[in-house]
Amino acid sequence: MKVLIAEDEVVLRESIEAYLTKEGNVCEVAADFREASYKTSLYAYDVVVLDVNLLTGSGLDVLKEIKCTKSDTTGIIIISANNSLEDKLEGLDLGADDYLTKPFHLAELNSRINAIYRRKKLSGGNLVICNEIIIDTSSQVVTVEKQEIKLTKKEYDLLLFFISNKNRVLSKGIIAEHLWGDHSDLIDNFDFIYVHINNLRKKLTKVGAKYIKTAYGSGYKFVVE
Amino acid sequence: MLLSTVILYFYIRSILQEEIEQDLYSRASRIESVIEMGADPFSLPPVVEIEQVSSKLPAFVKDTLIFDPSQDEMELFRELTTFKNVQGNFYRITVRDLVVESDDILIAFIVSYVFILIIVFVVLFYLNKVENSNIWQPFFHTLYQLKHFSVASKQPLIFKDSEIKEFSELNTQMKVLTDKVRKDYNNLKQFTEDVSHELQTPLSVMQVKIENMVNDGPLNDEQYRQLISLNNDIKRISQLNKGLALLTKIENNQFANLQKIELALIITRSIANFGEIFSKEIYFSGDRKLVVTMDYHLAEILCNNLIVNAIKHTSSNGHVEINITSNSFSVKNTGDHPIMDADKIFERFYKESQSANSTGLGLAIVKKICELYGFEIIYTFEKGFHVFKISF
Repeated sequence: MKVLIAEDEVVLRESIEAYLTKEGNVCEVAADFREASYKTSLYAYDVVVLDVNLLTGSGLDVLKEIKCTKSDTTGIIIISANNSLEDKLEGLDLGADDYLTKPFHLAELNSRINAIYRRKKLSGGNLVICNEIIIDTSSQVVTVEKQEIKLTKKEYDLLLFFISNKNRVLSKGIIAEHLWGDHSDLIDNFDFIYVHINNLRKKLTKVGAKYIKTAYGSGYKFVVE
Repeated sequence: MLLSTVILYFYIRSILQEEIEQDLYSRASRIESVIEMGADPFSLPPVVEIEQVSSKLPAFVKDTLIFDPSQDEMELFRELTTFKNVQGNFYRITVRDLVVESDDILIAFIVSYVFILIIVFVVLFYLNKVENSNIWQPFFHTLYQLKHFSVASKQPLIFKDSEIKEFSELNTQMKVLTDKVRKDYNNLKQFTEDVSHELQTPLSVMQVKIENMVNDGPLNDEQYRQLISLNNDIKRISQLNKGLALLTKIENNQFANLQKIELALIITRSIANFGEIFSKEIYFSGDRKLVVTMDYHLAEILCNNLIVNAIKHTSSNGHVEINITSNSFSVKNTGDHPIMDADKIFERFYKESQSANSTGLGLAIVKKICELYGFEIIYTFEKGFHVFKISF
């Protein structure tokens, strides 16, 4: 997919670009409001990653411009340093598809971009295919070699998160934040994650899909050769 | 007033007396002339009495009391007695007239004075009232504006112009003051937002760099552990940041979106989430109809913070009990001994144990939310349980 990253902080911009490019996406970047406004007016993107506080203007204004001129196929995810609820509601009211507050994990951003892309471009009826694993995101059914496997809601989310970020090391903290959102802010020990991962791993291994590996003793990696 | 009553009383009395005496003299002289013209002496007691007497005495005037049968009481009369020589005969002519009694005069005066007084008082009272409300109207308008003033309001206060110098000065000063308060408040709010923003961006940069290192390099397990630990510290700073920003927002009363909330729904969801995360037993009981009017976001924070606090401080094989009644919400967890500094428990950064991984803001935020809505929160230690109880 084609992604525009509008972020004024150079390290963040380059890291997001590198991460998304590695996942096989075509990335363009915009360093300030003017550039973001210019590029969105000229080209069509599948997803725009938009920082609210761009150097020379507000990301929300870029959002308004996109919503005015483009058809509704461009997915927009806002990233903001501001955790305030009003900003979040304003962004979503203006038509953003998702909202992420800084600091965030690249894996989380990537998984949300994929979710938006599935919803927008493929009308939600997409099949996520990873070798023999097929996930139907509209009916939330997972089959491995035509054999359906029953997963809990959390295990399903976990599998989708792993596949979105395959071959990446995911710490327990990143996984907890993805699965429990704001509730994970109050947690300081992520060992409980082990139970959920272990259950998923067992269910996959049973049908011959041995992808979930332990990395560095306490992290996890969904290894696809 | 009293003096004038007394003077008037004596003055009127003397005038009346003089008038009566003149009347008596004129009557006496008329009777004389009638007798001189040859009429028989006649009498009409008690008003006129004519008598033939042997000698002539000088005329005199006196007061006398005579019984008046028509009124059935003794009446005061003024009496003039003159002696006249008509054709050799001496006549004594006595004429009398009713005197207006002095207490009657007095009562008349007092009654009329009181009547005048009351009328004057009532008229003045209403005149003053109308006048005053006209004069003070700009003042009360200013007062009303101040009572309904909120530092968070986006519109400046608009005072009515007044022709009264003092009031227009007051309004000018009030305008200067409220504008300054609003400006300071906005600066403070902006500062909080700026700090939050300025800190979160470098934190994201750090986090992203760590994520890159984890994914790029071959690391050994120890290096990975160090990086993840750094990541957790970043998360803690970010949470502290969020917590402090939240406290400021509550203090600034920036959560104005009040709604009726069924607390049991929030608690049930919170228990479901934390039940998956923690392995502690959580029991929930009570009246599920408890409805509280507050901001939804704050209600969630309130419940989550209290429940997580209870779970974290439950002894290893203990449990958490949550109970709601029609006007209270309490969270209990098993504990070995009461908290030593129970007074300080709601203070920022107060930590009972030296566990490094809590921000120390959870209960301070709970307390602030309770203060904002006027709820009462108390901590007690009962029968091996730490109890936090909120009364609505």
